[in-house]
Amino acid sequence: MIDRTNPVPVQTGSPVFAFTLNGEPVAVTAPPSRRLLDVLRHDLLLTGTKIGCEIGRCGACMVLLDGKPVNACLTMLYQVEGRRVTTIEGIAGGKDALHGVQRAFLEEGGYQCGYCTPGMIVSAAALLAERPDPTDEEIIEALSGNLCRCTGYGGILRAVRRAAAIGREADG
Amino acid sequence: MAMKEQAPGRCPEVWRPRDAAEACRLKTAFGPDGVFTAGGTLLRTQWESGSAAMPGTLIDLTAIPGLAGIRADEGQLVIGPLVKLSELMRTEAVATAFPLLAEAVRRIGAPSVRNLATIGGNVASAVGDALPALLVHEAELLWHTGGRTETTALEDWLADPGRAQGVRLLTGIRLKRTDAEAPGGPPGRIVGAYRKLGRREAFTPSLVTIAVLGRLSEDGTLTGVRMAAGGGSAVPMRLRAAETVLEGARVTPDALVRVSEAVLAEYRPASDAFAGAEYRRTAAANLIAAEWLRLAGAGREGDGR
Ligand SMILES: Cc1cc2nc3c(=O)[nH]c(=O)nc-3n(C[C@H](O)[C@H](O)[C@H](O)COP(=O)(O)OP(=O)(O)OC[C@H]3O[C@@H](n4cnc5c(N)ncnc54)[C@H](O)[C@@H]3O)c2cc1C
Repeated sequence: MIDRTNPVPVQTGSPVFAFTLNGEPVAVTAPPSRRLLDVLRHDLLLTGTKIGCEIGRCGACMVLLDGKPVNACLTMLYQVEGRRVTTIEGIAGGKDALHGVQRAFLEEGGYQCGYCTPGMIVSAAALLAERPDPTDEEIIEALSGNLCRCTGYGGILRAVRRAAAIGREADG
Repeated sequence: MAMKEQAPGRCPEVWRPRDAAEACRLKTAFGPDGVFTAGGTLLRTQWESGSAAMPGTLIDLTAIPGLAGIRADEGQLVIGPLVKLSELMRTEAVATAFPLLAEAVRRIGAPSVRNLATIGGNVASAVGDALPALLVHEAELLWHTGGRTETTALEDWLADPGRAQGVRLLTGIRLKRTDAEAPGGPPGRIVGAYRKLGRREAFTPSLVTIAVLGRLSEDGTLTGVRMAAGGGSAVPMRLRAAETVLEGARVTPDALVRVSEAVLAEYRPASDAFAGAEYRRTAAANLIAAEWLRLAGAGREGDGR
């Protein structure tokens, strides 16, 4: 094993972390262990990512890291260095655009108070990117880390099924 | 409700060693104030609940080459500690040769947690839900201890995880393929099951986890019987006395009664605010007996499960 004697401290002076956020390069100066949730909401003023339980259980802060859903409350800034972060603000890929999942949530009434909705949409979009035509079982599994405490899951399930159908129409 | 911007107090600094020896040197230098960090999901839970203080330094393991990835050779599999749970459960070689491990991992957290959490963090915590499955698959742990490398049977390490002195970095989890275990051994099918019991059906911390594994012959005799239980804050263990009851035996009602009595006698979980030790022991005994009954029944009907 190589015996290096100069380990790299990630934090020296005021560290800058570069990553891709919603398709754009960003550089953030903050402590390396700052939560991605705080970086997004407080430092970058992207408040679509919600604060809920802060222990990875509710899914309100779901974002995509290299296309895969992760909880922003569990993720630290240094862990996203050089990687691709997508938030609800960037999920549709354009300012006024709507992702198929967003359209479907509107059409099917997949929300009531709306607080869990960004997280739900991020998880559902990740599922459909990987499995465009999921079974109900796969939808339930993909949303198992997202809690809703008001509208119930019926409308949400309908919305994801509808989003899959929108995807099929767009493809075919 | 008070709003907090960051966990109170500290914002740890992060060091990123480039090899295992360097990670161990850093840990030695920082002492208790430096903490090995993989996915950080369990650590975050501990910081937020107050069961551990945020340390001054995180020693991030993710830049160390060779700790990620799964290597298969000569009938064995070496799983790198940095392999994410989501990757592990989707790996063909794991799902086919070690289905109980794949099943256990599928029941941990939710997809987003499994995208961050590593198998090494689950094992090193000594209470992870993957452990009962790894115990019945007789996993070995590979460690880097500063100057040396070391291999320990998972069962031995779990008997007293705090005992080993000094700095230890987990560098691999080695599994021998079940089907390679007894070449020319007794005929029969490998049967096994993993069950997790929580307070909800899904995405829930475990109260009890059990794993059973064995070889079921045509005439219903079991050999190579292995059983393990854990869950919650209990450090998982092999249930050797219960194994003896079924070794070379058939799954009869009488044998099942004796198996559950053996589990009740040897499994020693602790109580917490959600479930008493009595409940956990009884649930473990019942789950184990029920799984053997199902596995033996399925064998007789020739059902391939
Ligand atoms: C919402 C949520 C749900 C969860 N559900 C479950 C569940 O159902 N079942 C379950 O078992 N767990 C669960 N966990 C706990 C945790 O996610 C898992 O145990 C996970 O596998 C830990 O991996 P990690 O990489 O995040 O570990 P980390 O948090 O990085 O580390 C965990 C511990 O292991 C040590 N460590 C890590 N890697 C090494 C190494 N290579 N060598 C030596 N020490 C090391 C660390 O120092 C630390 O003490 C859950 C966590 C959350 C936040």
